[in-house]
Formats: sequence, C-alpha cells, structure tokens
Amino acid sequence: MRQLSRRRFLAGTAVTAGTALLGRAPAALGQQVKELQVWHTEVEPQTVKTIQDTSIAEFEKKFPGFKIKQQALGWGDLNTKLLAALAAGSPPDLTHLNPFMTASLHVKGLLRPMDELIRALGEKDIHEATLKLQYFDGKYYGVTHAMGGTYFAERRDLREAKGIKPPETYADMLNLAAALTEEGKRWATQMPGEKLYMGFVHPAEWLAGNSGAWVDAKTWRPQLNGKPMLEALDYAQKLNKFMPAGWSGQKYLDTLAALATGKIAMAHLSGARTIGYIERYAPESMRDPDHFQPMFRPRGPQGRVGMSALDGENWAVFSQSKYPNEAFEYLKLFFKKEHYLKYCHSVPIHLTPIFTSMLSDAEYLANPRIKKWRSWHDFMVRGLKEHRFLPIGFSRPEDNVLPFLAELDGSGIVADMVVEVMVGGKDPKAEADRAQKRAEELLAQLGAKRWS
Amino acid sequence: MNRHPLVGWLLLAPSLLLLGGLVVFPILYNVWLSLHDKHAFMPVQAFVGLKHYVYFASDPEFWSSVRYGAIYAGATLVLQLLLGVSAALLLNEGFRGRNLLRGVVLFPYMIPTIVAVILWKWLLNDSYGLVNHLLLSAGLVRAPVAWLGKDHIMASLVLTSVWQFFPFVVVTYLARLQTIPPELYEAAKVDGAATWQRFLHVTLPQTANVLFVIVLLRSIFMFTKFDTVWLMAGEGGVSRYVRTLPVYAYARSFTYLQAGMGAALAVLMFALLLVVTAVYFRAFRREEAAA
Repeated sequence: MRQLSRRRFLAGTAVTAGTALLGRAPAALGQQVKELQVWHTEVEPQTVKTIQDTSIAEFEKKFPGFKIKQQALGWGDLNTKLLAALAAGSPPDLTHLNPFMTASLHVKGLLRPMDELIRALGEKDIHEATLKLQYFDGKYYGVTHAMGGTYFAERRDLREAKGIKPPETYADMLNLAAALTEEGKRWATQMPGEKLYMGFVHPAEWLAGNSGAWVDAKTWRPQLNGKPMLEALDYAQKLNKFMPAGWSGQKYLDTLAALATGKIAMAHLSGARTIGYIERYAPESMRDPDHFQPMFRPRGPQGRVGMSALDGENWAVFSQSKYPNEAFEYLKLFFKKEHYLKYCHSVPIHLTPIFTSMLSDAEYLANPRIKKWRSWHDFMVRGLKEHRFLPIGFSRPEDNVLPFLAELDGSGIVADMVVEVMVGGKDPKAEADRAQKRAEELLAQLGAKRWS
Repeated sequence: MNRHPLVGWLLLAPSLLLLGGLVVFPILYNVWLSLHDKHAFMPVQAFVGLKHYVYFASDPEFWSSVRYGAIYAGATLVLQLLLGVSAALLLNEGFRGRNLLRGVVLFPYMIPTIVAVILWKWLLNDSYGLVNHLLLSAGLVRAPVAWLGKDHIMASLVLTSVWQFFPFVVVTYLARLQTIPPELYEAAKVDGAATWQRFLHVTLPQTANVLFVIVLLRSIFMFTKFDTVWLMAGEGGVSRYVRTLPVYAYARSFTYLQAGMGAALAVLMFALLLVVTAVYFRAFRREEAAA
C-alpha cells in the first residue's frame, strides 16, 4: 500500500471539506435560501410527512428561494417555545395557536389580520363553529386548521348490557358510572391528570354545560364560586368515586389505553384519535363501533345541553413575522383541496375539515377508516349541528375576546381547586371561594379588573 | 509588578468579564426585575418597588411552596446522607467485585434527569408499573397503589431524587474515607474499640469537614431543584402537592406570565438560602471551636 504523506493528507482533506462546504452552502455562492418557520401541533409522524409531501413540496416548488422548516410540537411545548420566541422577538412566521391564547396576543398587537386569505379560502364555506373564533374589531386573525370534537368514548356494549341509555344529566351520568364500576376489575371512567385538561378544559365544559361562565360578561369578575361551578364541582367530586385512585398522576394517552384494554368503561377525554388506540390495543374481536362509540357530555342542572371542547388550533401570523406574505401563500396551499384531503385523512375524523362542503364530500368519506367508523363521523357532524362544541377553554362563545384566559389556565388556580375537591375530597364551596379570591387577585394584577 | 498594575488588571479582565456577565449581572438584573411589573414576553414594565415582596409575605401559595420545598429538601438530604454514607463505608472495605460496584453505584448520577424520571414514572405507574406488579404478586397489597397520586407523589419524588443523587454523597465521602490513616483504626482497635465505636470516634471526626460540605451543597441543590420536581409532577394536577419554591417561581414567570413576580420569588429563594447557609456556617464553626 502506498504511503500517504501528512502534507498530502491535509491538502486532500482541505479540498474535500471545501467542496462539501460550497456544495452545502448556497448562501456562500450568493443564492441565499430564505427559511419560513412553521410551527404546529400535529405531532403524528404520518401527518408531519403528509404536510411535507403535499403543501410544503408545492410551496418550495412555487417559491424556489424559500424552504419551509416545519416543527411539530405538543401543546405544552408549543406554548413554552412560543413565549420564549416572543420574548426574544423572533417568533415563527406561521404557527398554530390555541384560540384561548389568540385574544391575549391580539390585544397586545402581535397578530396580523388575514381577511384576504379567509375570502380566498371561501368565507361562506368555513364552518360556523370555527369561522369567527379569531374575529376581532371586524377582522379575522386566524383560521382553524381542522376540527376535532372531544367527548366521552364509551364501551357501548357494557352500557347496553346494563340496559342504560346514554346519560343526559349529571345524575344520569353518576348512575351510569355506578353501574359500570366493578370493584377490583373495572372503573367507570378516568379523567386525564394533566393540568390543562382536568384544570381548564373540563371546568370550561362544566361551566358551558351548566349555563355558567368563567367571568361576568360586563365586569370580567371571575365566577368560580358561582352556582354553576359549585354544582359542577359537586358532580366531579361524586364522579371521582368511580375513577381509579391514581388518575391525577396519569396522562391523557394513558386513559385511552385504559379504555382500549378494558380497565375503564369510559374515557373522559376522547376524540377520534382514540380509534387508533382501539385498533392497536383492544381485543381483535372488539375493534369496532359496536363496542366503542362516542358519547356526549351530560348537562348540569341549569344547562340546556352538555357541552364539550372543540380541539382546533388556529393558524396565526405574527406581526413580527419575517415573511408574512409567504406565510399566507403557504396557507392557501395548505388548504388546497387535494392537499387538505390528505392532511385530514392522516388522522381521520380527528382532523375533520373546516369546510362545510367537505363534510359530506364523497372523496373525503371514501377513506377506509371513516367508512369503518362512520358512526363516529356522524356523531361529530351531529355535535356540530347541535352546537355542542366550544373551543378549548371557552365557557361561552364570547370568551374569544377575553385577553387573560392563557394566564388563568397557566396559573393553575382552577386546577388546584378541582384537584382539592376531587382528589383531596375538600368542601367545594371553600375551595371555590379560595380559587375565586386568587383569580380576582390575578386579574387585578393583569390589569383586567373592571369591577369595583 | 508594582510598576505595571495595568498588566495585572488586563490578565484578570477575562475572568472578571465572565464573572460579571454570567454571575453578577444576572443577579442584579433579577433584583431589578423583581421591583417591576413585567409581562413574560411583552416589552412593557412598570416600577412597583417592593409590592411583589409585600404580596408574597401573605400569599398562601408562597408559604405552601416553602413548606413543600423544605420537606422535599429535608427528606432527600437525610436519605441521601444515610444511603450515601452507608454505601461509601461498604465500598471502602475490601471485597471481591468492589471496583465494579464502585462504578455501578455511579450509574444513577450519570444518567440524564429526564431518563431517571421517565424510568421511575414507568416503574411506579399504578396501571402497568413494575412496583405495583411485584407488590400485588407478593400479596403485600390488595389493590394497586397510586404512587403518582396525591397521597404518595411526594414520597415517589423523594425516592426518585434519592436514587438519582445519593452517588454524589458516595463519591465525595468515599474519597475522604480513603485518606484516613489506617494507624488511627489500628490504635483504636488496640484500645478495644468495637466497630461502632471506631466509626463514632475515628471515622466521623475525620470526615466531619467533608460531611459539612456535603450537607451544605446537597441542601442548596435540593432546595433549588427544579427539573426532577417539574418532570415528575409539574404538568399534572398533582403538582399542587409538590409545588416547591423553584417550581412556583417558574410558574409565576412562564405560566402566569408575570416575570416580575417570578424574579421576586427567585430573590426570596436566594435570600432564604443565604440566611440558612450563614446560620449553618456559624453553627459549624462554633462546633469546631468547641471540639
């Protein structure tokens, strides 16, 4: 073997490295590639791949000077990362936001209006459940990426075997829970232990389904110790008896696995994503809508109808965005029918299209999973029709203008109250009074106090 | 040297810059921030003086977090000392496989906190965790114990932390044990001292200084520990029962979005530790003088 001198080796390495560097860095050659930062909350690998292969691929073809960098983040991670990015003055160009955060960012002047985009997408075709969620001062500041209803997922076979109808009221639900609990074998239900769900999403649903609200509409004074919340807390405390003792330390996905494997009869927080768990973990002979089906929330004593959260983050463009025009152009491609269908089909039914026309579109309904679980799709459509859904964290539609819901959620004031009442077995009234006092202090600190 | 004082300052400059930029400035900025009403990400702020400090003086959440922090730091410190010192004494003896065991014992300290917490959360999960499986199989419990629920979350957190951090005590204490002259033990033996008496009258006095440092460092580390506590329960409803001061400070800054109040909590935590450390130093010096 021929010996390589040190000088020759170094020269060779330098030439190789230089070539590689020039090849990888178009900026060095004067062809600067601009990067459009897109953050979203759809973390399932097949969804990330679909986005990459459809709308992003077409965008990069159409705008050769641009590359899109998508980042899929869980809710909690997204919020933390967004706050850090906003504090540093460099948020992404385009991002998902939870509707309860949008108002807070809008009043601080951080969002760009997107009326032109909404008109281009078809203002009249966007479902009324989502269209005006980010509508402030006569302008649109967001558009929902897809809708996913949340509800109970139940073991229909177990309930029907007991001869009980789906519950309509708190009392019905407590009766059903008692009937489905089998000591040492199965619990009736399980709530997710994450603060966001048990301490914000569900309490908002309780208020909405019992004619209550987070705050007084005029004065913004918190209503945590009002009758609707007290009745809901009493219900939650009773329901806790039919839940496994350690639920507050477990997570949302644990509850779906528990339902699929028969440890519980009803997953308290569920959506069509649950189907994936059923198809993976339930006994093979039971992976069908005859055994598992969605169930609406019960209403409180003062409520008209049980309400639940609509999982549907909205796309938003920050006023500090580097490439806002391109972000809007990308959104047009994201919602282009051929791309959007594939996106919605990446997690069928959970990603229900925002366009009314697509809900009954043959091409959309032709998806094999939608065909098999058609009753889940119909349930979702029925929920939308009956106005049973409100955006996550909303106690009523007008909550979209409250600029402090993100802070109320983040403070954990409501979560502390719920956990003390449910898990700690404390008196609902005393805990609600304590939470009320803390919430009043918080709103005063945030400059949102309008009461005297 | 006297003729070129500038050279001396120039040589010191990099260190001073680093210290100033990375230690002094952040502390002073934090104190300044604690005197303002500052949103976490909006560039608006208003000077409020000592308002935040006055608020926390009567804030039940603050006192509850101090209490949880003290319980957590105290329990983990005592258990780390007991376990760490015992393990170090054992590993100081001569036996087959000692070197291997000395390496293995370091393992928990070497793995990232996130891995340690996920591992323990899996083990302690009341639906599919190994701990409950073993307890049920052995007939020690009739139903799965909710280790991550309200009643046991603090114990689970303490257990995870002790497992992860006791090797620090082992390594530090073992290093000192190895430097104790064997003649001292031989002399004690000749005087008829039994094992316990040798530990009490030779080992403990010889290792008092290192124990002082271990207690000091571990107390500070555990009282300010954020990652383990947050990962174990921070996002869950049960976080209420283990909300220590660092977690409360984080929450005020990044979930309540009140950066000024979060900064005030950090200052209070710093002050608390400063007072406790001063008292501890004084007590130790008095003890040393008496000896």
